[in-house]
Amino acid sequence: MIEIRQLVKRFGKQTILDHVSLRLPDGQVSVLLGPSGSGKSTLLRTINGLEPFDSGEIWIHDEIRLGEAGSPGRDDAVAAIRRQVGMVFQQFNLFPHRTVLQNVVEAPIYVLGKPRGQAESRALELLDQVGLRDKAHQWPSSLSGGQQQRVAIARALAMEPTAILFDEPTSALDPKMTAEITSVIKELSSMGQTMIIVTHAMQFARRVAKQVSVLHSGHIVETGTAEQVFDAPQHALTKSLLAQEAD
Amino acid sequence: MAKSLCLSRGCFTNLVTCAWWFAGCLLVSLNPAAGQQTDALHRIQQSGVFRWGADREGGGPFVYPDPNDPVRLLGFEVEIAELLAARLGVEAQFCQGQWDKLPDLLDRGDVDIVLNGYEWSANRAHRYGTSVPYYIYELQLLGRASDPAESWEDLFRLPRKPRIAVLGGSAAQDYLQTLYPDRVDIIQYEGATDAMRGVELALDGLDANLQDLPVWTFYRGSFTRLKALGDPVGRGYYVVLTRKADSALLQVINDTLIDALRDGRLRNIYTKYQMWNTTQAQRGLETNPTGGFVGDARQPADAVDSETETTDYVAVRGWGVIWQRGWLLVRAAGMTAVLAILAMPLAILIGLLATLLRLYGPRWLAWLPISYIELVRGTPLVLQLYVLFFLLPELGIAIGAFWAAILGLAINYSAYEAEIYRAGIQAIPRGQIEAAQALGMSRWLTIRRIIVPQATRIVVPPVTNDFIALFKDTAVCSVITVVELSKEYYIHARSTGAIVELGLLTALLYLAMSYPLSILATRLERWLHRERQE
Repeated sequence: MIEIRQLVKRFGKQTILDHVSLRLPDGQVSVLLGPSGSGKSTLLRTINGLEPFDSGEIWIHDEIRLGEAGSPGRDDAVAAIRRQVGMVFQQFNLFPHRTVLQNVVEAPIYVLGKPRGQAESRALELLDQVGLRDKAHQWPSSLSGGQQQRVAIARALAMEPTAILFDEPTSALDPKMTAEITSVIKELSSMGQTMIIVTHAMQFARRVAKQVSVLHSGHIVETGTAEQVFDAPQHALTKSLLAQEAD
Repeated sequence: MAKSLCLSRGCFTNLVTCAWWFAGCLLVSLNPAAGQQTDALHRIQQSGVFRWGADREGGGPFVYPDPNDPVRLLGFEVEIAELLAARLGVEAQFCQGQWDKLPDLLDRGDVDIVLNGYEWSANRAHRYGTSVPYYIYELQLLGRASDPAESWEDLFRLPRKPRIAVLGGSAAQDYLQTLYPDRVDIIQYEGATDAMRGVELALDGLDANLQDLPVWTFYRGSFTRLKALGDPVGRGYYVVLTRKADSALLQVINDTLIDALRDGRLRNIYTKYQMWNTTQAQRGLETNPTGGFVGDARQPADAVDSETETTDYVAVRGWGVIWQRGWLLVRAAGMTAVLAILAMPLAILIGLLATLLRLYGPRWLAWLPISYIELVRGTPLVLQLYVLFFLLPELGIAIGAFWAAILGLAINYSAYEAEIYRAGIQAIPRGQIEAAQALGMSRWLTIRRIIVPQATRIVVPPVTNDFIALFKDTAVCSVITVVELSKEYYIHARSTGAIVELGLLTALLYLAMSYPLSILATRLERWLHRERQE
């Protein structure tokens, strides 16, 4: 369980996140929806410390407390969180100077200190799982966007994370590639992997989400199960987002 | 040949002032003779080696490469050094140094004496031990044989101020400045023979050259388009310089010189180089084997007796010079390559560390790399080398010329490499660093595994550019006595006059080193970006 309590994030005079509280349960896919500028990506990035915040706190499994920027113990908390919460980016961010396999084994070897042989055999299993075992020795730049994103997922999985954060994972992809990612995420979901996904792609959200939260101007306007939010939206913004999808 | 002491010392004092500012250190007092506690005589006898400093670029008849065997040194000063070494019972060791920096080498303790046409002056005698004169020199005015002027008076009758070339900072320059401050234009040249060549070619409207008489006598055969104007003027004394504290050594040198004058050995040496003249004879020190005064019994004209052959300087000219001396340039090119190849990796390392400290170090330390880069980038390489070479020994750090050159080049280039790396690091997309952070990589691990390898791929072309520039900048190292390709070229171009032939070979050697480097760099770049080929 990842719990966000009364989180406030300001950028100058502008308030990006205004006392946001949210519980993200284990073993399921939670989706954060919202128009651009709603603060959904910022919220996601506060969880693993990529984005500092001004007040409030984040609890990971009731074990690690992440406080506001400059609070005592924050650096240690960030380090601990990053070892167990993985992340997948909109632009994949694979390391271009390393092969696919090297990308996946980098952190297990150099952060966790796993023996290379063990890290590589696990990496090959994961690449197999995302359907890219045969690309293990290729360069990221020779792969399609969808393939690169699947490598990025394998890279996150190689750290055996308790949760994975996805920041707009399909925004840079065409529908065919989006489908590849959707099927990988659905498979992981069926294995009970905790995932938190920020997206504005409604169709994608419908296919994978168990819990949905809708953000607007730094506030959470609606949270519920996928059925509740998609079939009986309560807030006007949710309705308009769904209406746009129908167009 | 004889530059004024005040000039080179003044220059040194200024540089030392800069050096204090440079090092930011005000604790150690400035004592140029620091570390020279015991008399050099003792050290010489202990080590069995007597080190004498001179510049073979200055040329004949002082110290110059043998025209037939360029590795061997000839010159009357070589023979005097051997006389001194024989008296001391040790080996003479020649130490190359840039002429105007020779007194600094004496201060550093790199040489025991300076023996290279240094004229006596009150300033010099105040600063250094000065021996009895080993030669009385005069200055000769030289003009073009085709010009009508035959004397100083003729020159002054020209409708404009005569333009006279001199060796920069030499006694000839002092002479003109003292006697004719407003009547002549003085043009300074770096080499004695360059000044003569300038007059031959009428460069810059030159009318004449005021030259040390021995130099003119020696090179007369190579400058057939020149003629002497009037009688020699401005008599002065060539003396051996020692450190002020080495009075026991100075005493031995004086005794040796006086004995050699008395028994005719110096006369024989000077006769060989066609330098013996009435001026020398008039010192009246010579005696016969029974101790009687020789007087006029041996006239200069008789001096050329059967056992003393004269040395006529006939340098190999034209393309033959390439066969004779080319290999010396190739060998010097090796020094250039070694300097560049050792200095560049060091420069990259220092530069990278400076940039990493600036970008990722603690904020309170950021001023350190920033001021380092600005200071090093904003001051000339030649100044940095000079300060390193001459300041460090005064601070008690012994460093040889070779390592001082490498360190100086590395420090100078590190500032540029730092800025190149900063640009390279800043060109890496932010997402790369976020991806590394999100994987739990520490700051140092991210720098080591992600940032530096990616930045290195980006900076290969500009760093290669600097590497090639560094190859050429090694030429500056001659100011701290390192003989590399350019210095070797000057030595042989000035002593043979084969400026074009040896110049072409030298250019070719530089190109032969830098071009393969470009190719290598292209390959390296391709390898670092090997994903692009697939």
